[in-house]
Amino acid sequence: MTHGSGAHRTVAVEGLSRVEGEGSLRVEVRDGVVQDVALSIFEPPRFFEALLEGRLASEAPDITARICGICPVAYQMSACAAVEDACGITVDERITALRRLLYCGEWIQSHALHIYLLHAPDFLGCADAVELAERDRAAVERGLALKRTGNLIMETVGGRAIHPVNVRVGGFYRAPTVAEVGALVEPLRRALDAAVATVAWVGGFDFPDVEGDYRFVALSSPGRYPIESDRVASSDGLDTSPAGFADMVIEEHVARSTALHARIGGRLDYLTGPLARYALNSSELPEPARQAAEGAGLGTICTNPFRSIIVRAVELVFACHEALRLIAAYEPPDPPAAFVQPRAGVGTGATEAPRGLLFHRYELDGNGLIRTARIVPPTSQNQITIESDLRRVAQAALELPDDELTWRCEQAVRNHDPCISCAAHFLDVTVVRQ
Amino acid sequence: MNEHDGTSPALRVVVVGMGSEYRRDDGAGPAVADRVAELFDGVANLGPIADPLDLLGLWDGAELAVVIDAVHSGAEPGTVQLIEVGTAPEGESGGVPAGTTSTHGIGLAGVLRLARAVGNAPKRVVVVGIEGDDFGQGTGLSPAVDRAVPHAARHVMKLIEEVE
Repeated sequence: MTHGSGAHRTVAVEGLSRVEGEGSLRVEVRDGVVQDVALSIFEPPRFFEALLEGRLASEAPDITARICGICPVAYQMSACAAVEDACGITVDERITALRRLLYCGEWIQSHALHIYLLHAPDFLGCADAVELAERDRAAVERGLALKRTGNLIMETVGGRAIHPVNVRVGGFYRAPTVAEVGALVEPLRRALDAAVATVAWVGGFDFPDVEGDYRFVALSSPGRYPIESDRVASSDGLDTSPAGFADMVIEEHVARSTALHARIGGRLDYLTGPLARYALNSSELPEPARQAAEGAGLGTICTNPFRSIIVRAVELVFACHEALRLIAAYEPPDPPAAFVQPRAGVGTGATEAPRGLLFHRYELDGNGLIRTARIVPPTSQNQITIESDLRRVAQAALELPDDELTWRCEQAVRNHDPCISCAAHFLDVTVVRQ
Repeated sequence: MNEHDGTSPALRVVVVGMGSEYRRDDGAGPAVADRVAELFDGVANLGPIADPLDLLGLWDGAELAVVIDAVHSGAEPGTVQLIEVGTAPEGESGGVPAGTTSTHGIGLAGVLRLARAVGNAPKRVVVVGIEGDDFGQGTGLSPAVDRAVPHAARHVMKLIEEVE
């Protein structure tokens, strides 16, 4: 919608549908300069933190999995890691490997969905994935086949493709057999080929020439690309434990949003997610992922947020390759879960959700009841940076007509795949020009 | 396994509860789906789904997909409506309101159109809508919606029996 004319214009678009969650975006432009950018979002972790108080720590993985319909495994894994840390448990490497395999399933289905159905239409001038399917059915079918493979891993390891039910503190209720896991090999080989083709496909898109000046934060695990780890690193030299990082991160309430805005030490904004993981860990990618990245023109660091779609595609290659590696080495953990004796204490767990770093911190009493819970999802950590991106992108694109400017702003939000979580799934966008 | 992509063979009947049980009456769909799955063996309850896009790849090729969702249309809370999603002409939603009656703005209609565009849509899709009253944060259905759960479940079971 456009109101007014000349120097005083208001552009309002409602119902942006390709961001998961509910929220609104407002950009104010005065005399040709972007004055203010506000991404207002609803985010349910605050409610869940309160809900968890007084509940058994063993319930945390299942309860927090319901925060996000897209990345339940991330919530389950960070919750398990935090409770196990509080109870002084280190799980068997075979359990860690099986968790990593399950997580690969979530990365594959989430990245495939975002790349093909939410993000690619932006670059191809399609209103949505339906229009893309009408124009390029083979591409959408490739994306859906990738998503199905991710779902299949979730079903085999997690017991269900949506909201896995096989995860518990300490490990799993049941370990899949070697044959069950082996049945994933053929679909994954095809998925690996499809992922490589995805990198080549998105690498050919046209990208606006925008570079961000980011402070990247991601897990770090020497010798492998991070999914779970006990170290957190940043592009400006931070190297600490999840607990140390949780202590550094200060979240502020902002009136317009139920989400908290996170900063290191209360003053340094930062970015988590694919761009950060890649910048800090691209040397750990397996050869097929590195070759695909190189073929698509990615260096070892990518600071153009629009090119995050290529990084996600490279991570798809990694996740398929990693799943195949884990399956080749698979030994069912026996028992499938470590015994976890509740004890009073504080624990922190961090894992890499598809959208970025997700950390949980629980304080438990001697009966295994949660006294306090803190859940910091990637979107609240990225929110300030997303707003900075929007300011930069909007300023650089002010010459565009209102409809194109609005679209560019929507794209700038989608670049970071914000999971505004499981409420109404739309973002209202308003651009005000004065 | 499906030779083409390794997925499981097509399920005959898929029951899907849309919504979140942590948004009060938004949990009506999952509550009905759970009730139906308890009573019928062999019905695939895909679990509580928050995003219709998740249906892609899960409901492919089913004879019948019953999508149960809380709606907000102005009717009396607890009112149950059945919407038969017909064969939609190109570009139309086939009777599924495009996001105005549900908390899922991404739209079941769009997802169904996408599934049809790539030839994976279920043969028959029926939406069972339950009018909600309270979509705030918290657990538990409001009384009228809670009372409607068995009524909605009976509608779903009748639809399944037509296939069985």
